[in-house]
Amino acid sequence: MNNAIELSHVTKTYPTFTLQDLSLTLPTGCIMGLVGENGAGKSTTLRLIMNTITRDSGEITVLGQDNRSDAFRELKNDIGVVLDEAYFPEVLNPRQVGQVMAQTYTRWDEATYAGYVDRFALPWKQRFKDFSRGMKMKLAIAVALSHSPRLLLLDEATSGLDPIIRDEILESFSEFTRDESHSVLLSSHIVSDLEKICDYIAFLHRGRLVLCEEKDALLEGCAIVQCTRAQLSDLPEEAVLGIDQSPYGVRALVRRELVSPVFSPEKPTLEDIILFLAKGEEQR
Amino acid sequence: MKGLLLKDLYVLTAQMRFFLVLILLFAVIPSYSMSGFAIIYAAMLPYTSIAYDERSKWDQLAGMMPYSIRQVVLSKFMLGYLCVAIATAVSLLSALVIPGGKASPASLLTAACVALTIMAVTLPFMLRFGVERGRMLFILVIVAAACSSMTAMEALNESGVALPQVLALGAPVLAAAANLISLPISFRAYARRSF
Repeated sequence: MNNAIELSHVTKTYPTFTLQDLSLTLPTGCIMGLVGENGAGKSTTLRLIMNTITRDSGEITVLGQDNRSDAFRELKNDIGVVLDEAYFPEVLNPRQVGQVMAQTYTRWDEATYAGYVDRFALPWKQRFKDFSRGMKMKLAIAVALSHSPRLLLLDEATSGLDPIIRDEILESFSEFTRDESHSVLLSSHIVSDLEKICDYIAFLHRGRLVLCEEKDALLEGCAIVQCTRAQLSDLPEEAVLGIDQSPYGVRALVRRELVSPVFSPEKPTLEDIILFLAKGEEQR
Repeated sequence: MKGLLLKDLYVLTAQMRFFLVLILLFAVIPSYSMSGFAIIYAAMLPYTSIAYDERSKWDQLAGMMPYSIRQVVLSKFMLGYLCVAIATAVSLLSALVIPGGKASPASLLTAACVALTIMAVTLPFMLRFGVERGRMLFILVIVAAACSSMTAMEALNESGVALPQVLALGAPVLAAAANLISLPISFRAYARRSF
């Protein structure tokens, strides 16, 4: 099995939003960052992958299994999911959550769970409702990592957390993918987090997949050029991916290989690329 | 499904401690009306559990876990059966042990059957529309059940049929039929709900 997730021409229509013709592949052993503004379709994509909402068309395969097959329910033992909120009953404490999960997942590992709860400094007897957001998300991540999953699906798991906790959580995801059979799909609008740990970047904008590329190739293949409006016309049209004009000049996102070094192209950040592409889509 | 039941029991014992003690207290009092109330109230505990699930958005998380729709729905029915069984058992024990009570074992078992019938009729709506909207239907069912049972009793009295015998035989049949019909409807009702 070469791919952990395959989506082929998936469409889902709501009264006010449509996820259009989404095709996406997450190779096994990789971390893919799904980036996009609020309402771009990231959560819808994750719910479609887990088959908790029905799609209008298209095919979805997860860990080699059609996600509408009867066998997919058993396969959920291999998938750790963290949603944008933790959604545990508020009166439960980590010990009780562990006991419930031990009866839920066939490969629940109490020792691994205890290890994560202690490592994240979560109080065993404190009720979930008295946890901070960071603690709640850490508990959700501890649960997701404690039943020997092969695939992690994380929906905004790091949003709203302070940088120190975010870093700690991202580190646990990196550790997870040291096993080559493990894969992660991580949705976020914090692009800097994705830049840190992802192998692939997929950018969703208003329900459409704008790009899906290997992160390093994307960063090396793109460049930012600062010039005047007059100089802009000297750039090859096919090289320009996005333009940001201001009274002081023009910044353009370009394909590095198509632009002369005379323009002194600079290395962009992932955030630069996403912002340029989003603006380009807005101008369409 | 054991995990779902365990979760519900943790939630109910933490959130409803006072009411659970009240149910047991009413069940212990050797009076038919008190015991009957305890048994009917016990049958409503699955609604409370569904309400707490809605509040914490547990269903969204459960959808990501290796649970089938049947298991989620069955866990609510099992919770109801368990609660009614405990309330009925305590009532029966109290009726047998404490002297002077008016509750007979047959009347308590009839109350348990009525409670399970009400639960079977209302749970599909709770599972489909949520507790807030399902509660309105629950009130309608209670009123309809009270009116129709009174009419039926009057009709039986007039025809000279022995009411206790009819109830003792009819209530278990009604409860079993209602639950057998309710389960597949509930599976479909919950499957149509989106979280």
